[in-house]
Amino acid sequence: MKPPVHQEWSAVVNGETRHLYTAPGTRLVDLLRDQLQLTGTKVSCEVGRCGACMVLLNGEPVNACLAMAYQCEGSEITTIEGVRGESEGELHPIQRAFVEEGGFQCGYCTPGMIISTKALLDEYASPSQEQIETGLCGNLCRCTGYGGIIRAVKRASEHYSSGKTESPVVKAASGTDASEV
Amino acid sequence: MLLNREQSGKRWHLRPDGPPKVTGELKYLTDLTLPDMLYGKVLRSVYPHARLLSIDISEAEAMEGVYAVLTARDVPGLNRFGIATPDQPVFCEDTVRYIGDAIAAVAADSPERALLALEAIRVQYEELEPLDSTDAALASGAPELHPHGPGNVLHRTEIKRGDPEQAFANCAHVVTETYYTPRQMHAYMETEGGLFVPDETGRLNVYAATQHGYKDRMQLARIIGCPEENIRVVSSPIGGSFGGKDELNVQPYGALLALKCGRPVKMHNSRKESVRAGLKRHPMKIEMQTGISREGMLQAHRVRITADTGAYATLGAPVLNFCTEHCMGPYVIPHVDVEGVSVYTNNGLSGEFRGFGGNQAIFAMEGQMDRLAQMIDMDPWEFRRRNLRQKQDPGPLNQQILPTEGLSQVWEAVDRSELWQKHVHPQPESTRPPWIKRGVGAAIAMHGAGLGYGIPDPAGGRLSLNAEGKIEAAFSYEEFGQGLVATLEIMLCDLFQCHTSDLSIVIGDTDRVPHSGSSTASRSTTMAWMALQRLQHVFRNKLLTTASQISGIPAERLITGPAGIWTTTDSSSPVSSRLVTAYKELVRQGEAEDWIFDTTFHYPTTPDHVVGGHYLYTYAAVVAEVEVNRLTGETKVLDTRHIVAAGPVMNPMGYIGQIEGGSVMALGFTLIEDAVMQQSRYLTSNLDTYLIPTIKDIHSRLEVEAIEELPEGDPFGPRGIGEIGSVALAPAITAAIHQAVGVWINRLPVPREELMMGLDMLLPEGVKPS
Repeated sequence: MKPPVHQEWSAVVNGETRHLYTAPGTRLVDLLRDQLQLTGTKVSCEVGRCGACMVLLNGEPVNACLAMAYQCEGSEITTIEGVRGESEGELHPIQRAFVEEGGFQCGYCTPGMIISTKALLDEYASPSQEQIETGLCGNLCRCTGYGGIIRAVKRASEHYSSGKTESPVVKAASGTDASEV
Repeated sequence: MLLNREQSGKRWHLRPDGPPKVTGELKYLTDLTLPDMLYGKVLRSVYPHARLLSIDISEAEAMEGVYAVLTARDVPGLNRFGIATPDQPVFCEDTVRYIGDAIAAVAADSPERALLALEAIRVQYEELEPLDSTDAALASGAPELHPHGPGNVLHRTEIKRGDPEQAFANCAHVVTETYYTPRQMHAYMETEGGLFVPDETGRLNVYAATQHGYKDRMQLARIIGCPEENIRVVSSPIGGSFGGKDELNVQPYGALLALKCGRPVKMHNSRKESVRAGLKRHPMKIEMQTGISREGMLQAHRVRITADTGAYATLGAPVLNFCTEHCMGPYVIPHVDVEGVSVYTNNGLSGEFRGFGGNQAIFAMEGQMDRLAQMIDMDPWEFRRRNLRQKQDPGPLNQQILPTEGLSQVWEAVDRSELWQKHVHPQPESTRPPWIKRGVGAAIAMHGAGLGYGIPDPAGGRLSLNAEGKIEAAFSYEEFGQGLVATLEIMLCDLFQCHTSDLSIVIGDTDRVPHSGSSTASRSTTMAWMALQRLQHVFRNKLLTTASQISGIPAERLITGPAGIWTTTDSSSPVSSRLVTAYKELVRQGEAEDWIFDTTFHYPTTPDHVVGGHYLYTYAAVVAEVEVNRLTGETKVLDTRHIVAAGPVMNPMGYIGQIEGGSVMALGFTLIEDAVMQQSRYLTSNLDTYLIPTIKDIHSRLEVEAIEELPEGDPFGPRGIGEIGSVALAPAITAAIHQAVGVWINRLPVPREELMMGLDMLLPEGVKPS
């Protein structure tokens, strides 16, 4: 068996510049989970339907099972591990809202759901019901029936629209380097 | 009480597993890795039915990076598994019976190499005609899929009472209908998998999801041929199950490969493999003939249930028992003739699924009730009231059941609900286009909890003060999302008035928990509550007497509280409330064993000898409003109200979540979900073709009303609500569809074509579509 050709790859993942070697055809989901140990990005349908592997690629939500490493070269990637509150150990308002409203049960869809919610609220601070439905219809949840999720999104949007949230995602910090290479 | 966050007050308890879940920090068992691990993959059958002529693994074995290739010859113990009836081969020996049947398994140093090794295994088959329907399997001369025969019948049920034939002859009205229900998929988001780790002492550590770790351990020990103590099963947290992970799935392969290689082996099914190999809800055909008197009283009920149980037994027999028990609904029917049959076919695997055969039965029975009410032009809810069993009436199998007012309470709640009033007084449709029709329907159900009479259903639990000075509660239940851990926290804080930081809750690890039964059949909450009721007195007594010895304060004046033991704030006492001693201090007194308290007992069962008959039931009713688009045949559920009588609400967030989630799962069952098979092969292999409800498809108006009353002194406490939200929505929706458009639905998912109509037929006379 021929080993796959690995090439140097770099991107800004959760604010840190990461360099590593990977085959260009590696799926982003595998790169994140296997090479960077960022297992918050879940694998479920692998055909882009369920949204469990949703990440932000330059701010846009994408299914990491459909994005290849070469497509993400040099971009800015935010996984669930990069969504956090303003101070160390604090939850992001979206995460807090999911906990407070019971917007999860088994939790396996939750990272993807929170990523999509973040993309939604970054675009519409107080989304309409229709905008919530459109924004989250690429994420499947089998446990909650979505009731708790909708309540969580609405609660989180109160924070957004009241301006309590600014730049919750850690931006690319300069001077960081990773030692994967 | 209408259940929501506002009404719940202080009982709105944030889940302890919330932060790790919303941050992605939580490691599911399929997220685990070890540096030197191998990847396991399973070779599954190419055909749904075939004879195995030969298996050549030599090429695969010789491949670089391949560490093991296993077939049936490599199973040291029993080459079979199955919770109730172990008839599923770990590896097929001479016959394959469904498209997910395992023939071989490999372990390699990368997933890619493992897949290449599978391709290198040469299997010669003699393809056989699949038995792709229950009719084909029951036809005379059909080949027998299992040697234990006769025929392809896994299980039969029968209930006969009175003289149905004579009763039907005397009935004023009889409805005859055949109902069909789909092959629904659990579609848990985390597919099956885990990590299998042999340790240096020769023990095997299994990190894989199940609803019953001890049962997995027993089955794996039987397969490996080792004592059960040689295996540790760690089985939580789980990314969803709904009954689908109760049977072994990847565990036999991971275990055997890990032991063979002496290295950790990771298994994780792809979604396609999960669909192919995994359990589904039993598709059923339910023929019903139901007769009533002129006054609208049920007289006679004839039912024939045919369940497609697929290639292996799994829990096919208990599911059929449950369906049989529930196909008479919560009604008094003097003359009954029910027969059920569960049939082996080559159609995948059917097994346990939330509702456990109740969903199918209740859809059919409630459909009969609506049809009968219409025949005599009676309000369908009033028709139900006349026929409902009374508090002291026996259960569906003529067995004694625990009397509660739950049934009449849920009936009344529907009767007075605003939503049901829309059925009684339909609103004018003039404002909507003529092809949009609205209707409201309702259904009622009683649903048994626990495994039923005659089936071992042990329960128990452990309460201890652990070395860290935490109050530790240990159960063999699993957290698959339902909120069990949060519910346990609430119960313990209620009992000991302590803080959550004083608690340690241990579940899902056979090395650390006592055998307290499975997390199935809506039983965990009740069993945990009963266990804690039994343990609290001895445990508290030990805490207080020890604190008393240390402090010299009489035990009567001490209470448990946050961080430790406090003095009471008895007004006659001059001493104000204060912390006397910390739990951490207490545990230093005496031996560790002195602080451990166990209990074992059995799930409450009916005293009557009726196998599978239940003693505890929960009661529910659902009202649903729908909008049917007659041009597209689409049904949109607009509004629902679930009324549930299951005793005190322990955990409001969990309760709402279970009812909402169950309801939307039932919405899928009713309107869109079906794992369609053709010639015993799935046509829907992933979530892009097997559609489950998305956030756009749901009924966003969904109210949950909890009836919390139980008889005074009821010793069984809160009932589980894991299934009850999923059982009665389908008939409510189909009744609503009937009110909207006058079509009786007898098949799920609702066939859109039956609701479609040409535009010219919908427009008022004289109006032409331009």
